[in-house]
Amino acid sequence: MTAALDLMRTHAALLPLIIAIVGAALAMLCPPRLSWGLATLAALLCAFVTADTSVRVLIAAAPLWSVAEGVPLLADGIGLFASPLIAAVAALALAASGAVLSDIERRTWPLAMALVLCQLFGWLGALAARDLAGVFVAIETAWLASVALLAFSAGRTALGGALRMLGAGGVGSALFLCGVGIFYRSVGTLELSAIATAHIESADAAALGAGLMLLGVALKAGVAPLHDWMGGAFTRPGGPAALVLGTVGVIGALAVIVRLAGYVATSPTIGEGVSIALAVLGGASVVIGSVQAVGAHNLTRLAAYAGAAQAGGILLCVALGSPAGFAAALVQLTALAAAALALFGGAAAGGVQSLEHLDGLGRRAPLAGAAIMTGAISLMGAPLTLGFLGRWRLVEAGVGAGWWWAAGAVIFASLAGVFYGGRLIERLYFRRAGDLFHGPNDAWRWALAPMLAASIVAIAFGVSPAPLLTAADSAGALMLGGLP
Amino acid sequence: MGPEILLTRAIFAAALVLLMCGAVAAWASNNAIKRLAGIALSMLGAILGLAALGAPNALLIAAACAVFVQLAIGAAVTVRLQEDYGAIEAPETDQADRQDDMPGRAP
Repeated sequence: MTAALDLMRTHAALLPLIIAIVGAALAMLCPPRLSWGLATLAALLCAFVTADTSVRVLIAAAPLWSVAEGVPLLADGIGLFASPLIAAVAALALAASGAVLSDIERRTWPLAMALVLCQLFGWLGALAARDLAGVFVAIETAWLASVALLAFSAGRTALGGALRMLGAGGVGSALFLCGVGIFYRSVGTLELSAIATAHIESADAAALGAGLMLLGVALKAGVAPLHDWMGGAFTRPGGPAALVLGTVGVIGALAVIVRLAGYVATSPTIGEGVSIALAVLGGASVVIGSVQAVGAHNLTRLAAYAGAAQAGGILLCVALGSPAGFAAALVQLTALAAAALALFGGAAAGGVQSLEHLDGLGRRAPLAGAAIMTGAISLMGAPLTLGFLGRWRLVEAGVGAGWWWAAGAVIFASLAGVFYGGRLIERLYFRRAGDLFHGPNDAWRWALAPMLAASIVAIAFGVSPAPLLTAADSAGALMLGGLP
Repeated sequence: MGPEILLTRAIFAAALVLLMCGAVAAWASNNAIKRLAGIALSMLGAILGLAALGAPNALLIAAACAVFVQLAIGAAVTVRLQEDYGAIEAPETDQADRQDDMPGRAP
């Protein structure tokens, strides 16, 4: 057992990628229901392997090893923090999707499960890639897998959304590639670790290249105002597609933005220009996402727009370019993951589309109502939740850097959150169930466990945040040159 | 400014024009085929720009593979749109979806 653990730790950088891609291949060969179990197990294994490494390095302060797998990988603070988060989110989303697999034709279940694992493989790969070419390939793998998963939803209504997503993603890929080309021309390398010390010929061109790369990924993360595709993708998605796209897809893309920014926004030559671009984009996303969430009448779209507002907060944290800013971004990322799981899980498992479907759900399905409510109050940033912790850290880091307006943006996001989150709670607990009520049904039995786990995490880390804050602070410090 | 630098800049400028034209078509076009053509055009522009800027071959190959997969998935989705809706124009498919959502109609 110890020998196996040592072997696992020796290859900890490559092992999650192997588990995800081999799991995808095996899931495709299995019978439908077994493929779901196998995919969930593979994601859980990924989460275990990545969490083991993160705890050892970020909390127990073990030295960061150099990766020598014959594959161009690079372990860094952001990757170490975000990888277990994404793997855990994927495992929970997969477990919950067992309840709504009927939204996909039974004969395509194995392929859908393989696509989810390909998505996980892509985002984990982008968080571990050593150079920008690797990051591009990994992002494309994840993105195209998510487009295909959306297109596999039963019925025809998701096809239009998949095509809109594909178009927006194509634009994002082209911008990313263009940015990489300009960046390479100015910096002379694609290696991420060499950026900080590289001799930069033209700082303006390098900053432009870095900005285009971040813009390309931001488009895929659904950062407003680049989130036009979300309206189509989240209007009538199948259950598994909504769950995985709204959680793994968004969190994965945001984590990659944080990682890339960790290399380019902290560079003394180009950092300032990149920070300004990120701050502008972040501020716009907070405002536009919040306003759209307030006006949304569809639960998945509301959750997606609220996620765009949260993503804006994460970009604001990253724009600070300090260890405190990166730590705040990682805490916000965790908060968004928990809230998104609870909301998208609820929407998928209950067959909830319009907000009217939520009427009276709190009384008829108390646990499900509680899970959705926890997601809603975390999005508001209410005290004793992870959402509050994330916003508090942003205010702390922003005020420390003299960015008072960032605190204003957080207050705006919280006020908007009170409105749209409050609207959800009002429907859950203060309305009678109408004719549109769908549940509860057997689906809840399967879907409740992962949703409740996410809710418990949102509350537990809000009440006792020490381990999370230690890990986030270590990751931020490690990214910028060494553990504190 | 030597002719080689001039040529590089001209190619890069052409690549940017291609990329932007393709991006507009991929983003805003209602027709699925035009959207796919937009993706192809914008990625072609990006690859041309990469080549003009002297990017490593591995990145060019990766970009070409990405275009291929994007177009393959796009073509598959377009075929399914045509089979299920009998149309590939977004307003027509959206209209059909709205009719499906009307009370008394099967989804």
